[in-house]
Amino acid sequence: MSDTLASRPTLGQFSSIVCFKAVITGMEEALGEKATAIALISAGRERGKNLAKELGLSGATQDLSVIAAKLNEAIGANGTHLTAVDKIVEEGDVIKVYCSETVCSAGEPQGSDRKCTFTMGAVWGALSEVTGRKLRGIHTESVLRGGTHDVFEFTSL
Amino acid sequence: MGASKIGGILQNFVSGTADVQGAALVSHDGLPLASSLPGAMDEERTSAMSAAMLSLGERIGKELSRGNVEKIMVEGADGYGILIGCGEDAVFLVLANQSAKQGLLMLDIKRAVTEIKAALN
Repeated sequence: MSDTLASRPTLGQFSSIVCFKAVITGMEEALGEKATAIALISAGRERGKNLAKELGLSGATQDLSVIAAKLNEAIGANGTHLTAVDKIVEEGDVIKVYCSETVCSAGEPQGSDRKCTFTMGAVWGALSEVTGRKLRGIHTESVLRGGTHDVFEFTSL
Repeated sequence: MGASKIGGILQNFVSGTADVQGAALVSHDGLPLASSLPGAMDEERTSAMSAAMLSLGERIGKELSRGNVEKIMVEGADGYGILIGCGEDAVFLVLANQSAKQGLLMLDIKRAVTEIKAALN
């Protein structure tokens, strides 16, 4: 196999959210919501972990504002467009990550019970890799359910 | 939940049960709770796989009218991988070699599950 990566000279690097959402709903249809969520969170964590390594951030800093800025650069408007990472704060034992325009919530109607899976996993994996902490994450606030942000909360395992 | 207690139960189960090579307890959302796995296995990946597999098995049981799933068994040329629900919160994964006697193995797993459930509560 050649080392040359296939390129898309006409279509470029980006694909529509509509197709990404169809992957998710198609997996849910075939495998069930729970198995799909586990797979997508796991995939996201792997992506986030590898991303942090590629950026040379493994164990690099505990400064949450620096981590937020680096992540936002990589996966936000100047990066892959997965989500904007607006801020990361620590409240007691909980690290809260405030995201907006997440790909997981995009295109969903208000009131939808959809939760972020891949997006949360990506933030989770990156945060674990950067801080060197084993974390457990949950999606607590959603823009689909009255929140201003999609908020992911992480606690140490 | 006593994580160290559960870790101890798993270690005793693996070292004290003939033909068992490893075991892990994982949450239903695919996170490792405790494990005693062969060194080459990635704990996080194994945990996500186990929880997804049990969930998929439950869906097969429901969609194909097979009732509640009690366990999932993967039989390969080099041994067995057995997944069994362990209370409301956890999934128990056991890896055994091909020499394992299935009946005896299942008895030992049931005993371990009872012990783990008590520790979880």
